Amino acid sequence: MPAITHEDNMTQDPTRRAPLVLGEPDLASVTETVCRIAERPGATPAWYVAFVVSVALTLILFGSIGYLIIHGIGVLGNNSPVFWGFPIINFVFWIGIGHAGTLISAILFLFRQKWRTSINRFAEAMTIFAVACAGIFPAVHVGRIWVIYWLAPYPNQMALWPNFRSPLLWDVVAVSTYATVSLLFWYLGMIPDLATLRDRATTKPRSILYGLFALGWRGSASQWHRFETAYLLLAALATPLVLSVHSVVSFDFAVAQLPGWHTTIFPPYFVAGAIFSGCAMVVTLAVPARAIFGLKSLITMRHLDNMNKLILGTSMLVAYAYMVEWFMAWYGGNPKEIFAFVNRALGPYAWGYWLMVLCNVVVPQLFWFKKWRTTPWLMLIVAILVNVGMWMERFVIIVASLSRDFLPSSWGMFKPTSIDILMMIGSFGLFFTLFLLFCRFLPVVAMAEVKAVLPTRDPR
Amino acid sequence: MPEYPTPNLDNDQVRLVGLPRGTSGVLMLIGLVALAIAVALGWRRDDQLRAFSASYLVNYTFFLSIALGALFFVALQHLVRAGWSVTVRRSAEILATGVVYLAVLFLPILAIMLLGWTSPYFKWLDPQTIADSHLAREKLVYLNLPFFTVRAVFYFLVWGLLARFFFKQSTSQDTSGDPMLTRHMEKAAPVAMILFGLTITFASFDWLMSLEPAWFSTIFGVYFFAGAVVGALAALILLALALQAGGVVRRAITVEHYHDLGKLLLGFVVFWGYIAFSQYMLVWYANIPEETVWYLARQTGPWTWVSVGLLFGHLLIPFLGLLPRVVKRRKMLLGVWATWMLVAHWVDIYWLVMPTFAPRHLPFGLLDICCLAAVGCMFFAGVIRTARRCALIPLKDPRLGESLTFENF
Repeated sequence: MPAITHEDNMTQDPTRRAPLVLGEPDLASVTETVCRIAERPGATPAWYVAFVVSVALTLILFGSIGYLIIHGIGVLGNNSPVFWGFPIINFVFWIGIGHAGTLISAILFLFRQKWRTSINRFAEAMTIFAVACAGIFPAVHVGRIWVIYWLAPYPNQMALWPNFRSPLLWDVVAVSTYATVSLLFWYLGMIPDLATLRDRATTKPRSILYGLFALGWRGSASQWHRFETAYLLLAALATPLVLSVHSVVSFDFAVAQLPGWHTTIFPPYFVAGAIFSGCAMVVTLAVPARAIFGLKSLITMRHLDNMNKLILGTSMLVAYAYMVEWFMAWYGGNPKEIFAFVNRALGPYAWGYWLMVLCNVVVPQLFWFKKWRTTPWLMLIVAILVNVGMWMERFVIIVASLSRDFLPSSWGMFKPTSIDILMMIGSFGLFFTLFLLFCRFLPVVAMAEVKAVLPTRDPR
Repeated sequence: MPEYPTPNLDNDQVRLVGLPRGTSGVLMLIGLVALAIAVALGWRRDDQLRAFSASYLVNYTFFLSIALGALFFVALQHLVRAGWSVTVRRSAEILATGVVYLAVLFLPILAIMLLGWTSPYFKWLDPQTIADSHLAREKLVYLNLPFFTVRAVFYFLVWGLLARFFFKQSTSQDTSGDPMLTRHMEKAAPVAMILFGLTITFASFDWLMSLEPAWFSTIFGVYFFAGAVVGALAALILLALALQAGGVVRRAITVEHYHDLGKLLLGFVVFWGYIAFSQYMLVWYANIPEETVWYLARQTGPWTWVSVGLLFGHLLIPFLGLLPRVVKRRKMLLGVWATWMLVAHWVDIYWLVMPTFAPRHLPFGLLDICCLAAVGCMFFAGVIRTARRCALIPLKDPRLGESLTFENF
């Protein structure tokens, strides 16, 4: 069989399906390519530099949190009327990032999209780390973090129950469900690959640790049978979560009567935005990762091309929501609603609004051009701008709406403090620290799944 | 690269045979007679054809939503370069071209509005409503007859052109076998999707949402879209069953296609429920008068039971019914659920339109059945005419082999 070239991989010929892996892949070479990353005795200099920077930022995050807990949330920029500032913006941003991972691992699995196999593992890892980053913010935002367990509905002698009508409580349920299922899904899919690492381990500690987490996987037919069944079931369970989590997050805003927050399209619009930003983060991570770890034959240009098409498509959905919101703000005939939207576009936060429109609607249009979809550094620019745009979207929704509500006498401006900004930057540090550790010690590509889509394995 | 075997459909009948020659004409005749009866029934009520207009709108929208859902299905298959769906795609292409006939069937609605008989057909045409309602007055820039007509013409132009484009390209591939035609359709699909998304949204605003001019909901376009896809998938399943029962495409459509269509139907049943819940929950929770007015009409009197019926009949019961794998792989069972969903979809449209016209009672009766028969027969007369002119599967689609050999795992 001749080696598979970039041209084969990128073929648009409808008479055949493109091969998904470059070169002359056989089962051993896939194992070798992926395991090598986790088995190398020392990491590459690039990894160390990135790791040191990320850990430093993480320490800043935890330092800021410590400062916040000692001094109270007065150290944040939150004020009256902008009661929700950076913490909630960051929370919604990070939760959104996670959604692409679940889309790729669960929904694309149900849709038999076999190209997902090269990117699902690290996209799922991204999901879990993003949810971890997200969870921090509402937790420290409650003020008295030492009684955070009051969020959980449990019988207690104070007869103190959370308000079941509050979407904030639904958030706790939705996000913790999401975190649990995502973690299970990620871990379950990794078991065969962990067993491979265990079998290849050359030192005792590695053998014991990988062996512990491989749960005695032997790769027998019956184990594979149960594995596949469990995987399918978890995919089906994770699929509604892609929709439900960000819908519940959107309820935090949309159940209110505040102009700019209350609109019925919020749930699907938030879901589309979440997948949009998540796909952009996948591209942001994949472009450097495939170069640094030598994964270009597994994570091919076609994968990136497909991801960029997803970014373009979800950008259109977000643009649709923006448009319908504008139309309905006028059509609804409520002067406050019209004001909220004009205020976004022309008010004191107009710079944020237009930055959001530029990054979320205008810039992704570049992906109509193949050159932009298939040139790594160009797509990286777009992907990073999309992430900026989606952060700005939450800023606009939260800050611009809260700062000017019904009563002009209660208007006020929001100004983030240094703690706000340090915590935001620090959360990126935590995210990248976790991601770098994952790349260093775990199988970054789902080896067993990639092997199943190799041309040599195709029964036809 | 997975090469798929050349399909062997030698013994399969892929033309619409078995229907007598004059079927289209007869259907057309039945449709016209039913329409005449419906008009007569409406006339006798002496309400300026108000009841007739409402019923006609319900049934018109029902078939339009199926044609539009089918158009979405076709564009979607090309957008994602689907292989599994090739043999069922032609049915959708044919159903989608029905939108051309539906453009003609829209004329009665326009005519009634132009004649000004049923002024409260759309309340914003009624001088009294406009005089009384500040909110309705505010919207007259958008809700006025000339602009309404222009928009309707634009929607039909877009839908007609898209449906004809996909139909023409696909059928010309039947003879030429040129794979580049598939590429053309794939390249057109994203543009088609954008146009489709915009037109179906604003059409649903114009023809359904504006029945209650004070009311608005940003998700309404998505709600109508979700229902339309449910209707189209149910129709595609039933169409496939009917064709196979009639002895055509018996080998081209396999149990795997039914399974996948069933899965999609289940998915869109849940999606509809998600959108319906999102709309209701947010309106209920915020409790703002100009939004609750619409649901108030639907939870008063007998309409309460229709609303509850939709919750169970359009979501909970079919969700459980379509969930088991075996249901999607048995033709009989899937046919039952597809029929169920089609009925539920009709009730959904009825529930969208009727409470505005009959707030206190359920006006269901012979008039509705006549209108259903009128629009349905004329729609299918057109669809059958189109179906006779082409093969019922894309004979030389480059992914036909994939469609015939794929398996659900």
